[in-house]
Amino acid sequence: MQIWDDKKYLIEKTSDENENPSLKSELLTVNMGPQHPATHGVLRIEIKTDSEIVAKAIPHIGYLHRCMEKHSEKIDYRGVTPFVDRLDYLGAMNMELGYILTVEKMLGTEVPRRAQYIRVLVCELQRIASHLVAFGTYVLDLGAFTPFLYAFEEREKILKFFEEISGARLLYNYIWVGGVWNDITDEQCDFLRNFCEEFEKQLEMYNELVTGNKIFFERTAHVGVFSLQDCFDFGATGPVLRGSGYKWDLRKIHPYCIYNELEFDVPVGTGDHGSTIGDCYNRYQVRMKEMVESLKMVKQILQKLPVGPFMGKAPKVIKLPKGEIFLRTEASRGEIGFHLVSKGDKTPYRLKVKSPCFTHVSMLPHVAPGQMISDFIATVGSIDIVLGEVDR
Amino acid sequence: MLKEFVSELNNKIPNSKAEYIPMQEAGDDSILVQAVVISEVLGFFKNHPKFPFKVLQVISGVDYNEYFEICYMIATFDLHASHELIIKTRLTDRNEPTLNSVVDIYKSAEWQERECFDMLGIKFSNHPDLRRILCPDDWEGFPLRQDYMAAKFYNGMEINPDAKMNLEDREYIIKAVENKDELIKKALAKGL
Amino acid sequence: MSNLITNHDHHDEEEDSVESGLTFTSYMGNIYKAVASTIKGMSITLKYVLTKTPTTLEYPEVKEVLPEASRMRLYNDALNCIACNMCMISCPVNCIYITSFPRSKDLEIPKTSDGTAKRQVLVQYTIDTALCCYCGICTTVCPTECLQHSYDYEFSQYTVKQMKYDYTSEDLISWRDRIVSK
Repeated sequence: MQIWDDKKYLIEKTSDENENPSLKSELLTVNMGPQHPATHGVLRIEIKTDSEIVAKAIPHIGYLHRCMEKHSEKIDYRGVTPFVDRLDYLGAMNMELGYILTVEKMLGTEVPRRAQYIRVLVCELQRIASHLVAFGTYVLDLGAFTPFLYAFEEREKILKFFEEISGARLLYNYIWVGGVWNDITDEQCDFLRNFCEEFEKQLEMYNELVTGNKIFFERTAHVGVFSLQDCFDFGATGPVLRGSGYKWDLRKIHPYCIYNELEFDVPVGTGDHGSTIGDCYNRYQVRMKEMVESLKMVKQILQKLPVGPFMGKAPKVIKLPKGEIFLRTEASRGEIGFHLVSKGDKTPYRLKVKSPCFTHVSMLPHVAPGQMISDFIATVGSIDIVLGEVDR
Repeated sequence: MLKEFVSELNNKIPNSKAEYIPMQEAGDDSILVQAVVISEVLGFFKNHPKFPFKVLQVISGVDYNEYFEICYMIATFDLHASHELIIKTRLTDRNEPTLNSVVDIYKSAEWQERECFDMLGIKFSNHPDLRRILCPDDWEGFPLRQDYMAAKFYNGMEINPDAKMNLEDREYIIKAVENKDELIKKALAKGL
Repeated sequence: MSNLITNHDHHDEEEDSVESGLTFTSYMGNIYKAVASTIKGMSITLKYVLTKTPTTLEYPEVKEVLPEASRMRLYNDALNCIACNMCMISCPVNCIYITSFPRSKDLEIPKTSDGTAKRQVLVQYTIDTALCCYCGICTTVCPTECLQHSYDYEFSQYTVKQMKYDYTSEDLISWRDRIVSK
């Protein structure tokens, strides 16, 4: 017996009594289990397959749940920053900026200009580092082993700079209420200028090595298409929404910090070389072009960096006034939102994190039926999930 | 703009008894509606003629001790007229809080409502697949409630065993008070 | 078998909009494009093999020099600690445990290296380095700056209990000369 859905994909299959008893066929359940090199973390996807074609995909999350929201009810506002770092551990500066902007908006503190420039510089560098991981691991999923290490070598330079200013390579605790922890010296600015020049050449090399490759194009074009209506229905943001052709970037629409003083473009998926808008190839192209734009912004900031204090006036013990707020900022994987409820104490009453990867993983069951298993792996890699954000 | 929405809501859906809640000392203002009509209210906002709120971003549940408050954050995602709104409802029944599911209006509500159920125990009727999402499937209790106490054992494993809680270090002072002079003498000998 | 054909039909429809059927020229064109782009990629990799110096650091013979601001294992200079409990209060994971008793007034009250009077006798100062998240908040609130990050990062132990460091014990006080800079 076979049950088909309205798109003519097989969703259920069992053997009948009247059929030949020696011939049995049913859907096979395979676990793309919690330990898997291509799921970028501990994600379990239960796939029901009919030979090589996926009939149903059910993601199970919660393997990295660390109860961050419950912990933050007992810790003061300054101490919640290390917890927020560990949400998207590959793009920690963006998470910190989102949280600290939420707290500062409630407090009404003024941040000096130099501190704002340093914050945006650090966030854009973090975006480059995060997209390098996305690029390297995505191509690794598809079977190419070389670009992974090339991408990580460039990332090492960014992490070395971060270690010099904040003391840690991945989980920084650098952005504080009122400014930043340490200042940037002139030598570090020179190092960054050298890095910008070298990195432009490396980006061209990545495009020659991977983007122009016919085999890569055949594996990612027309695969995993998210239509624009799907993106709105599920609430997709970030490169996933921009890959479907919609020019939505919070840094342009509701600019925060000093993004309105910088010149940059917002890349969208345009379906070059005959690919469908909204497929994996376009999402990959959006990330590669975003790295170029972030590099442009880093160069502008290094030119315009003002002189002044790097930390403004902030109270020693942070006590927020009563109220609640919801603020979104543009992180490397989408829009991160913080819903903060405060009752006038030293600790938050409720901190809810709206994470972009949570909504992106929920889109997988919608687009999976009808794909082959290798296409499904290409789709999972292209939405670029980090389980720390999904599970919190 | 919120006050116009409130008056429109009260005209179209009088059962909602929509109220404008201004911000307390800082933050955002929001709209409070009755829990029974939440699907109609969200349907009204999705199909609004002037500002269609296309996207439901997050459903956040807060446990104030007398009632649960569930906030729906919706946004227009329009390139020229981008607006955001917080719509709240309150549930006073602490034993069996139920709410209508809005999955047929916004597809993103499926996982968000599952998380709300998992963390706060709020049941959504007509939800296609209401089960726990972050906690294991056989976990007891709803973690984000204010009166939540974790059970002692889960599947035979002890939750928060004493050996790993550093109890002796935390309660060192209880034993230290008894031989106070000896400890002070030892510390002074080291130069502390 | 019929379901396989249906699914592939769907796939072919999309391909049809790109190329009208698979003709011999487009087939040979695909092969040429694939071989040409692969050769281009392999030439980049060959260039890396032949001309680039490896960036691998041969640890543990060669160790990287850590920058000044590095946040590695904590060290508390117990002889200069005034037991104010600020680090214990501000730690987000509660990994610092402090016990102290007031010093009796008839003895002389010693001072720390920057002049603050030590009114408490420090009896217990334990940090559980397995619980510590290395965020650095405790070092920023210490008023006498006795709690600092050292540069040690190779301190794995055999049991979790050995990861608790008692900074009032004599062996840890003897590390002072190596770690604390005047």
